[in-house]
Amino acid sequence: MQYLDGKVPGGSLAEKWDRHRMELNLINPANRRRFSIVVVGTGLAGASASASLAEMGYKVKTFCIQDSPRRAHSIAAQGGINAAKNYANDGDSIWRLFMDTIKGGDFRSRESNVYRLAQVSNNIMDQCVAQGVPFAREYGGLLANRSFGGAQVSRTFYARGQTGQQLLLGAYGALSRQIADGQVKMFPRHEMMDLVVAGGRVRGIIARDLINGDLEAHAADAVMLSTGGYSNVFYLSTNAISCNVSAIWQAYKKGAFFANPCFTQIHPTSLPHVSGHQTKLTLMSESLRNDGRVWVPKDSDDKRTANAIPENERDYYLEKKYPSFGNLVPRDVASRNAKQQCDAGKGVGPTGRAVYLDFMEAIKRDGKEVIARKYGNLFDMYRNIIDDDPYETPMMIYPAAHFTMGGLWVDYNLMSNVPGLFVLGEANFSDHGANRLGASALMQCLADGYFIVPNTLAGYLGEAGNSDVGPDHAAFNESIQKVQARIEKLLSINGKRTVEDIHRELGRVMEDHVGVVRNEDGLKTAIEQIQKVRAEFWENVKVAGPADRYRMNLQKAGRLADFLEIGELMAVDALYRKESCGGHLREESESEDGEAIRDDENFCHAAAWEFMGENAEPRLHMEPLVFENVELTQRSYK
Amino acid sequence: MNWYKFLIGSSVGKKMLMAMTGLCLIGFLAVHLLGNFMAFAGAEAFNDYAKKLHSLQPYLTVLNIGLLTVGLVHIIVGIILFFENLKARPIKYNVYKNPGGRTIGSDTMPYTGILILVFVIFHLLKFTFVDKSVTPIYQLMAETFTNPLWVLIYVIAMVVVAVHISHGFWSMFQSFGINHPRHMPLIMKLGLVVTFVFGIGFGILPIYLIIIT
Amino acid sequence: MTTPKTIDITLKVWRQQGPGDRGRFESIPVKDVDIHCSFLEMLDFLNEKLILEDKEPIEFDNDCREGICGTCGAVINGIPHGHGRGMTACELHMRKFNNGDTIVVEPFRARAFKVIQDLMVDRSPLEKIIQAGGYISVNTGGTPDANAIPVAQEKAEEAMDAASCIGCGACVAACPNASAMLFVSAKVSQFALLPQGRLEANSRVLAMLKEMDACGFGNCTNHRVCETVCPKKVSIRHIARFNREFLKAGLVGRLSLDEEEKI
Ligand SMILES: Cc1cc2nc3c(=O)[nH]c(=O)nc-3n(C[C@H](O)[C@H](O)[C@H](O)COP(=O)(O)OP(=O)(O)OC[C@H]3O[C@@H](n4cnc5c(N)ncnc54)[C@H](O)[C@@H]3O)c2cc1C
Ligand code: HEM
Ligand code: HEM
Ligand code: SF4
Ligand code: F3S
Ligand code: FES
Repeated sequence: MQYLDGKVPGGSLAEKWDRHRMELNLINPANRRRFSIVVVGTGLAGASASASLAEMGYKVKTFCIQDSPRRAHSIAAQGGINAAKNYANDGDSIWRLFMDTIKGGDFRSRESNVYRLAQVSNNIMDQCVAQGVPFAREYGGLLANRSFGGAQVSRTFYARGQTGQQLLLGAYGALSRQIADGQVKMFPRHEMMDLVVAGGRVRGIIARDLINGDLEAHAADAVMLSTGGYSNVFYLSTNAISCNVSAIWQAYKKGAFFANPCFTQIHPTSLPHVSGHQTKLTLMSESLRNDGRVWVPKDSDDKRTANAIPENERDYYLEKKYPSFGNLVPRDVASRNAKQQCDAGKGVGPTGRAVYLDFMEAIKRDGKEVIARKYGNLFDMYRNIIDDDPYETPMMIYPAAHFTMGGLWVDYNLMSNVPGLFVLGEANFSDHGANRLGASALMQCLADGYFIVPNTLAGYLGEAGNSDVGPDHAAFNESIQKVQARIEKLLSINGKRTVEDIHRELGRVMEDHVGVVRNEDGLKTAIEQIQKVRAEFWENVKVAGPADRYRMNLQKAGRLADFLEIGELMAVDALYRKESCGGHLREESESEDGEAIRDDENFCHAAAWEFMGENAEPRLHMEPLVFENVELTQRSYK
Repeated sequence: MNWYKFLIGSSVGKKMLMAMTGLCLIGFLAVHLLGNFMAFAGAEAFNDYAKKLHSLQPYLTVLNIGLLTVGLVHIIVGIILFFENLKARPIKYNVYKNPGGRTIGSDTMPYTGILILVFVIFHLLKFTFVDKSVTPIYQLMAETFTNPLWVLIYVIAMVVVAVHISHGFWSMFQSFGINHPRHMPLIMKLGLVVTFVFGIGFGILPIYLIIIT
Repeated sequence: MTTPKTIDITLKVWRQQGPGDRGRFESIPVKDVDIHCSFLEMLDFLNEKLILEDKEPIEFDNDCREGICGTCGAVINGIPHGHGRGMTACELHMRKFNNGDTIVVEPFRARAFKVIQDLMVDRSPLEKIIQAGGYISVNTGGTPDANAIPVAQEKAEEAMDAASCIGCGACVAACPNASAMLFVSAKVSQFALLPQGRLEANSRVLAMLKEMDACGFGNCTNHRVCETVCPKKVSIRHIARFNREFLKAGLVGRLSLDEEEKI
């Protein structure tokens, strides 16, 4: 084991970032064009980084899986983005945003990073407004704010229910401008298959042209991975179909440490499971819980329809258990309880994986119009997907894997332990600690891409200089061969089960044992089961070819192969972390009345795992988390 | 010069040309319609009116040349648009439904346009490029419209014109950039009114004439 | 109420192995389709079967499966994204079909959109149009405070209406002329409405128009089908605004020499 150095600069919290920028190397504007940078991913993190670096003069190559950079999954974020502008004059400040984020992350993030995030949050808003992002406005023409995810202040900026989309389109516009200028070469419909590391630094990537299957070598002086989160390991999640772990997983296998893989956020208000062929859990705004009451039937296996169940046979479990917060308990508490109810057989709906979110009382109290004005579009969406009228019968909701706080370990410069490999956005182990606040992910992705990495990259390049290795180097060849062999292997198995089928099985294991509630036995079972499913995959999967044509099935197979590995690492990490913290409850670390107990004595660190070879146990490294400016407190929602 | 070539040659430039010339043509039709109404006042009044009109030289010639130019531009650009749009989807759909929006008018613009052109050619041969020194214009018309076939042709032509305008009228506004949620419903209604006024206004005369003669 | 139910349908689907292939329709019966799954999930379900039967799965573009990324899209029974209104193909549910239906599925057709495979088309011309000017030219950093420039609320809302375009290309697919006007005008309109965007309004509208024409899209003749099928209900009001901007820019607008040269 090794203690990792986060390279946190000296000085007081507030001056660290300024000071650090003074100390970092600079690259002369005229020299920047001699450096080539590969950016993988065009979500908020990747698009903003590509555009910013290209504007500065670097030669950038940018890759994404979708047919257009605009379609990265950041597009789906609905709620909003935080910034410490204090426009609402309600006591917000950089310090408060910092405190809220640290607390929200349950004290499992790096203080200095989080403070910097709060600092640059204001620049992000300025930048996005200048780009023409149509944020909501007050009548006087100034920006509107709302309070989001239980925050005590109104600091969330939003563009209808499409904030992520609008922010991404802003970054995409900036990126498009650089593509037109020839500063960025864009590679859509390309998937990164491998990271090339040689001579102690990153050398480039291997990408696969998804249209014709060609494997391409792209050498670079630095590589930025901004490939998003891996919630799809659960099969059903709020993520898009192409969201994957593969890019960062290949980096992990090339020596980058994977930190806190088990930290996932399960969102309580997604649409429920209604069909066996379901591939996606659509997220619905959390605001629904402001007026909806959550309940299940008192008796398990109650097959009556919701309206047929009389009041006294309904169990409003959240109101009962958490009298002061009621239905507004935090995401993880709501998710955990819903899951427990369903596990106890009280789940409702066709698959028994749903709980009711009932608006009947609110409608009676406020009238249908008021409710329609507040939630009309959500109700419409629900009606379309579920074919049920929430004005007449209670809605059904279910928790869904939503965000992964875990990711590749990075230092204060957002560089992993592999020199030259930067990791941005959801793909890094991030500033969200063990749980992410609503509207903070967008902020973090844009902070990384627009404001942090453009500064810290120069620091690295100034020291390391150009990479002297071209795409014809043996290391690239070796990688291409390895990737080729894996594709051929996948196509040659020719078994009896489809990729989806096996992925569903993995998803069930993950949901049952590595979700919001965990315990030692469950996690051990999970590890065993995942290994079994993985073996089954490599023996009995059937993948459609040929490889020289567009084949979604083949892509999915490759990604599933990696999910089958990260799943195990998540379980290993969860097993190791014997505390309840952030988004998850460890049953061995629970108070008598069901409260989560964090264990600061033993687990106040980021757990970063090193790949030690196929089928070998990964090695654990730690980055101790030091809190000089905040006091560690336990949360309570009773 | 290049600038104008781009402005006029671009897809939106062509659309502007169509709208501008379309507007002129509608203007002409409106005047023509008013003129036609003189026929209801009887043979003398109409012939007098026609005479007066023809005595307005050289203004009339200038106007006619203008009308010809406008007409030609409208037709030529219309035909260019038609072929360009045909080319824009080389492989057609197997099933292609109208989900709403398209109307008979919008679907048939180029076809109704061509029919109007054909009609106008006959129309001019019939009434304009004839010797009117022997038979005055009213009598010429009255004579023509004793033949039910001509009445039928004219009535059909007027329906075609109406169909063309049913789309053309509001479309012109949209092309000029005039589309405001507050006013568009009114423009749409006005389009309907114009359609019927033109259709019925023109169509009624041949019918009137066949009845009274 | 969501009671389980299945239907049997027949898909008459376009199959094309690549841009070089001529392509053809294939009729495939699909049995036991859960009515609660989406159209794309039905295709997944079918593909799983096809794969197990050693047949080629049907390739179709998709990603978010919640109607926001704009990746999916096919012409379903003659209508892009199918007959649901204000929704994408991934939001269309099978309960909107009846037992025994034959469903005809074709790729988006336009000269500017080449078929890549089966139902997938190449929409990169839309990218090129954005690259021609669908942005505000600000670099990262050095921007004024977010509240420095007030924007009238109704303008911000109208800009948001336009900005909600997801770039799916259904408007092109539906337009009898295969025109991209709704897509292009949405971007032009969004920026034309905002003070930040006004600065480059003249060059933007002309440059994007030029690129659109060069890509081989048809001419808009105000058919309005585009707004009917648009999953985000982008209105042709934005096309009108585009036309106004065109007139302004073309007749009286000032452009820098640079910009004029580009056009
Ligand atoms: C439904 C939903 C709602 C959300 N709402 C909010 C919210 O309201 N507020 C908030 O702050 N956060 C929200 N989040 C979280 C937030 O949207 C994400 O964390 C964030 O957008 C991630 O951005 P990213 O740039 O890191 O990655 P992404 O946007 O996921 O982009 C990943 C990119 O990497 C590419 N890529 C991935 N793998 C490869 C590969 N192997 N090769 C090549 N390219 C690859 C993809 O093509 C894509 O371009 C939400 C998330 C979801 C799912
Ligand atoms: C008196 C006769 C005519 C009148 C009053 C008339 C009027 C109009 C008007 C107002 C428009 C709408 C323009 C716009 O959308 O901006 C239009 C469009 C059109 N016209 Fe005519 N027109 C006439 C004759 C013709 C003829 C002879 C043709 C022959 C080809 C023709 C072909 C078209 C076509 C193809 C369009 C659609 C173009 C578009 O909408 O962009 N028209 N017409
Ligand atoms: C019932 C319908 C119509 C009648 C009875 C009618 C009658 C006439 C008459 C009598 C003239 C000749 C005037 C003269 O030279 O003294 C004329 C001219 C003309 N008409 Fe019509 N007309 C009708 C409809 C139309 C329509 C629908 C169009 C166009 C689409 C049209 C286009 C013209 C044109 C272009 C001229 C020539 C004008 C000129 O030389 O200045 N007419 N019409
Ligand atoms: S305007 Fe509508 S139909 Fe056209 S690309 Fe945008 S969202 Fe799709
Ligand atoms: S359908 Fe086509 S013609 Fe114009 S109004 Fe829409 S682009
Ligand atoms: S898959 Fe994203 S819009 Fe349909």
